[in-house]
Amino acid sequence: MAGVEFSEETRQQYTERAGSADIVVGIAGPVAPEELRARAGKVMEELGSSVGSLRFAFAWPGPADSGGPSGAERNGHDFVSFVPFSPPASGPEFWSDVSANQRAILALAASLHARACIVLGADLAALQPHIIQLFSWTILERHCGLVLPVYPTKKYDALINSGILAPLHRALYGRRIRFPLVYEFAVSGAMAEMLGRQQRASEQASLLWPVAQAATHSQQPTLGQVFIDARHQAATPGLELSAVLGQLAGSLFYEMERDAPHWQRIRGSQAVPSWGTAPEDTGEIEPGDAQPMLDSFLLGSKNLDEVWRLVLPPNSMLELRRLTRLPAEQFHMPDTLWAGIVYDFALAWRLRSISRIHLVGALTPLYLGWVASYVREVSSLTRGAAEQRLEQNFRAWEEKKPYLVSRWRWPDRFNP
Amino acid sequence: MWQQVEQSLHSSMSRVVNQIATLLPGILAFIVAFVVFLLIGWALAVIVRRILMALRFDERINRGAGSIADWTPRMTPSLLVSRIVYWFWVIAGVIVGASAFEAGTSERIVSGWILAYVPRVIGAAILLLAGNVLARFASRSVLITAVNLNLSYARLLSMGVRWLILVLTGAMVLDHLALGGAIVELGFGILFGGIVLALALAVGLGSRDLVSRSLERETSRPVEVPQPEHIHHF
Repeated sequence: MAGVEFSEETRQQYTERAGSADIVVGIAGPVAPEELRARAGKVMEELGSSVGSLRFAFAWPGPADSGGPSGAERNGHDFVSFVPFSPPASGPEFWSDVSANQRAILALAASLHARACIVLGADLAALQPHIIQLFSWTILERHCGLVLPVYPTKKYDALINSGILAPLHRALYGRRIRFPLVYEFAVSGAMAEMLGRQQRASEQASLLWPVAQAATHSQQPTLGQVFIDARHQAATPGLELSAVLGQLAGSLFYEMERDAPHWQRIRGSQAVPSWGTAPEDTGEIEPGDAQPMLDSFLLGSKNLDEVWRLVLPPNSMLELRRLTRLPAEQFHMPDTLWAGIVYDFALAWRLRSISRIHLVGALTPLYLGWVASYVREVSSLTRGAAEQRLEQNFRAWEEKKPYLVSRWRWPDRFNP
Repeated sequence: MWQQVEQSLHSSMSRVVNQIATLLPGILAFIVAFVVFLLIGWALAVIVRRILMALRFDERINRGAGSIADWTPRMTPSLLVSRIVYWFWVIAGVIVGASAFEAGTSERIVSGWILAYVPRVIGAAILLLAGNVLARFASRSVLITAVNLNLSYARLLSMGVRWLILVLTGAMVLDHLALGGAIVELGFGILFGGIVLALALAVGLGSRDLVSRSLERETSRPVEVPQPEHIHHF
């Protein structure tokens, strides 16, 4: 991650541009400077006296000359400055540029000795006064080290998050974080400095780094969650599910390998304090069509049997074969089976049982099998009931964790 | 007459025994040289492997994004290096054994032939190994990608790629060993040309109606308004 470690000269330049800032608000992606200035100005006006004399610096990735003659400017509000930062080099994969920009913003905040740093998505959906206020309040008043958002998703939204990322993170690190992969988050100044120090070249592979690094740090920061009403429009047409899933799963497995000494000691999970207003359950029942996902799973089980056999134990293979024989209306993948599958894939990643590219590719039909099962189960439920169903899934992952620990420690032991 | 037959049998027998007797020291020298080099190779391979393991060679090599383990997951880099060392000494043993064999006999053809042919055999072995690894990797990649693209003929596609690479590798290996001469090139050309021609005929003649109907259907199909998706993975 070259480009994140700012030199002393660069730090001085940034400090001169922004003066000093109490809160750095960074945009983790390309954004039009004019639009950012206009939106930020409006936000600051609306916040008015509620932020007192706190000094804000808005940072975005862009050339140094994009923010005016000195690269920074004073807004009508006396305590606002705008600081462009050089976008760091990142890979072409999904999320890697977002992740790289997030890291750069934290490094910038550490350079400015900010008390808090709020990272926002490039679509500026979360650049709203009450969201900025909520994030600032949780960091400065509630003394949280890391604050993550809870998005107002529908029951069929963010399924990679609900199906793999959230349950695996919860089982591994013992903190009930609903969205580990986020566009927005906020950190305290100390946390920004700590995360800035920990950044290394090899960390580029880690995409869900804020949660993992916060959870594994020796001085455990206070975690918090805030309900925000920002909806992001993910550019899905250009994205291929298997590629994105492969990258995210690869990142997760990489983190598992790196943090193995830490997560093996953790049992159960703790709730994370949440603030803000949770979205109401409207009671609306939205039916979903599971058939396309089920077809993909069946096609995978017909063709990828030889690959899955190298990764999964015979018992899981037997259960998968049984699933393929079920009629569509009875299709149900047990939570423990799904958790065990992902754990076995993580183990295969570590042991390099097969090529890692093939491994993460072979996970997609299994994931679609879980999605088909979930969609079929919750199609007649409300959003709130679906959330409870997900909670049940998360608990199953925790209960299955001893299996992962055992297999991780003794991979050669007989496993039927 | 029987005396003459007996005499000629005796003389031929003694010639064969003499021949074997002259070859025996050479054969013995070959076996001794080969076994010695085999043992040296085995010992060096073990030592090299232990040194590499102590230096955490596998971890260092596998740290990169496109590591060797992605191609041959079951073959660790240290194992690969130790096997190269071992086979180097085995081949050296064969060459030295052949020279020792010649030193014990009056024949001077074998070692010259072996020495000239050994580079070809090494090259062919490398080609065969690379071809096999590539075929396995590519066929599995195609299989997984095709399944993820929901192609029902994923397995067929994967097998096609596998055999394509294997046949190509086989032809290259035979060509490298200078075996078969023009027959290999000719056979390879006929095989591939035949496959392409068969596919062209199958589509052009056998599936003519099917293709035309499919094209007609595509052109006459009304423009579909994309339905909003209810299921979002991201």
